Amino acid sequence: MADHPLLELRGVSKRFGAVQALSKVDFETRAGEVMALVGDNGAGKSTLIKGIAGIYPFDEGEIYFDGNKVTIHGPRDAAALGIEVVYQDLALADNLDVVANMFLGREKKKSFWRLDEASMEKECVATLDSLSVTTLRSVRLPVASLSGGQRQAIAVAKAVMRNSRLVILDEPTAALGVAQTRQVLDLVRRLADKGLGVILISHNLHDIFEVADRITVLRLGQKVAQFVASETTQQEVVHAITAGTLSHVPGMVVEE
Amino acid sequence: MASQPSPPTKQGIAVRLAKFRETGIIMFIILLVIAVSLRSPYFLTLENFRDILMNISILAIVALAQTMVIITRGIDLSVGSMIGLVAMMVAFVIKAHPGTSPIIAVLLGMALGSVLGSFNGVIITAGRVPPIIATLGTLSVYRGMVFLYSEGTWINAFEMSPSFKSLAKGTPLGLPNLVIFALVVGVIVYYFLNYTRPGRDIYAVGSNPEAAQVAGIRVQRIIFMVYVISGLLCGLAGVLWASRFEAAQTNTALGFELQTVAASVVGGVNIFGGSGTVTGVLLGAFLLGIINNALTLIRISPFWQLAAQGALILLAVIVDSAILRRLQKSIAVARRAS
Repeated sequence: MADHPLLELRGVSKRFGAVQALSKVDFETRAGEVMALVGDNGAGKSTLIKGIAGIYPFDEGEIYFDGNKVTIHGPRDAAALGIEVVYQDLALADNLDVVANMFLGREKKKSFWRLDEASMEKECVATLDSLSVTTLRSVRLPVASLSGGQRQAIAVAKAVMRNSRLVILDEPTAALGVAQTRQVLDLVRRLADKGLGVILISHNLHDIFEVADRITVLRLGQKVAQFVASETTQQEVVHAITAGTLSHVPGMVVEE
Repeated sequence: MASQPSPPTKQGIAVRLAKFRETGIIMFIILLVIAVSLRSPYFLTLENFRDILMNISILAIVALAQTMVIITRGIDLSVGSMIGLVAMMVAFVIKAHPGTSPIIAVLLGMALGSVLGSFNGVIITAGRVPPIIATLGTLSVYRGMVFLYSEGTWINAFEMSPSFKSLAKGTPLGLPNLVIFALVVGVIVYYFLNYTRPGRDIYAVGSNPEAAQVAGIRVQRIIFMVYVISGLLCGLAGVLWASRFEAAQTNTALGFELQTVAASVVGGVNIFGGSGTVTGVLLGAFLLGIINNALTLIRISPFWQLAAQGALILLAVIVDSAILRRLQKSIAVARRAS
């Protein structure tokens, strides 16, 4: 394992109008590990990953990727670094088929005026096979017709496909049943075992202790703790989530 | 396995039909053709179908433009006014310079239309005005500009050059040019929507704008683009309209936007965005053409025609969705059985 983290954030902040969503957060994750990101509603988890993904770029702070300082101003910057996000609401286009969704926004082209459907379909099938996603009847079905677990698998496969190096999963199991949750957690572990960095956001501590290597806790927009999963307990993490010590007083009263 | 498509032998005819979205409307067209031809022997003649095609060509071109806009969850209510304005401006140019080549007239019309469409696009994307409001506004603005530009007058057949008048009606290729224009536009739009990246992006934006955004698609740019395309095709339609009817009046294409929306929706375009096909829309325009033609042929009183036309459109949409639902149910049954 490299001696520097795959992704390192130093003192990042983000403000939406009067709301300080993140203040001076340090965060890091390494290749080959699953870093869980936990916190109560409004703790800033989503803001943090949206900053990393370039959806809402940070107001201040530094981002290091693979030891190099980088700037991320938009989704394309993040994608160019190999950062991929699987969103809570899946971010799939229901009317498009599996192949079209996997290549959304980055379709392969034979020429300027022609999409390369055959090679996209081939790569799509290969990626799904490599992740052992085998329950699909056809990659030409519109994703609207798939089950929740299948849709989640497509969303994850989409993130992995383009040789990504860091995959961020925002509550990937929130809407899934027991068996499907199992499949997705297995998939998460396989990603890390392949050498990718994985950031996992979840409210479910049981899931987190099952797959995560380390746990970062956010509270009210600040980082309050970081644990090694094998050396801590659920109680300790819950305590940090609900009552972790804030390092500096926010400049305003934070309301729910 | 993801790599193994289900064997086609297991699928019944119903299943294969249902995968073809246009089944419902085709069946409705067939039923209508049979019913009308029993009442009027003239209906099923080549000559009559040529008439129908002539009458729906402009509608087909503009309905395709409208469809692209609707797929992005928008609507363009200003199409009729854009057609009217471009028809008037180009007709004035033809009157002043009778030697103008029809090709120049077409290019001029498309350029003017693009400018009008890009105004719509700017208001909607930069101004953040909902499309229905923005184009409702420009519907009036562009129509008002027709009056200002023409000062209430009109251009007549005798003020147009023969070459311009033959632009729509000439038949150097066997079919009237107007029909050829519609077919060419149909083929280009079909290719654009199905085989190019911006075409794919149009569906993505309409299907899930947030997903499109996070996938790195420049959503506002795509939305701007469809309104420019809409203006461009309306510009083409305006020139063809002036040529076909050999006139440009202040009320040219007044209310045409509703027909284009009707053709799109009858053709299976989802009014809430995300889906719609070129084949469907062309069939939708064709169905509207048949309805108009049939109502005249079987001598429905003109007082009744508009109401009958609306009723048939509603019936078509209802039959289409009923057939679609039934077929999808049989797919589900077939899936469970296999």
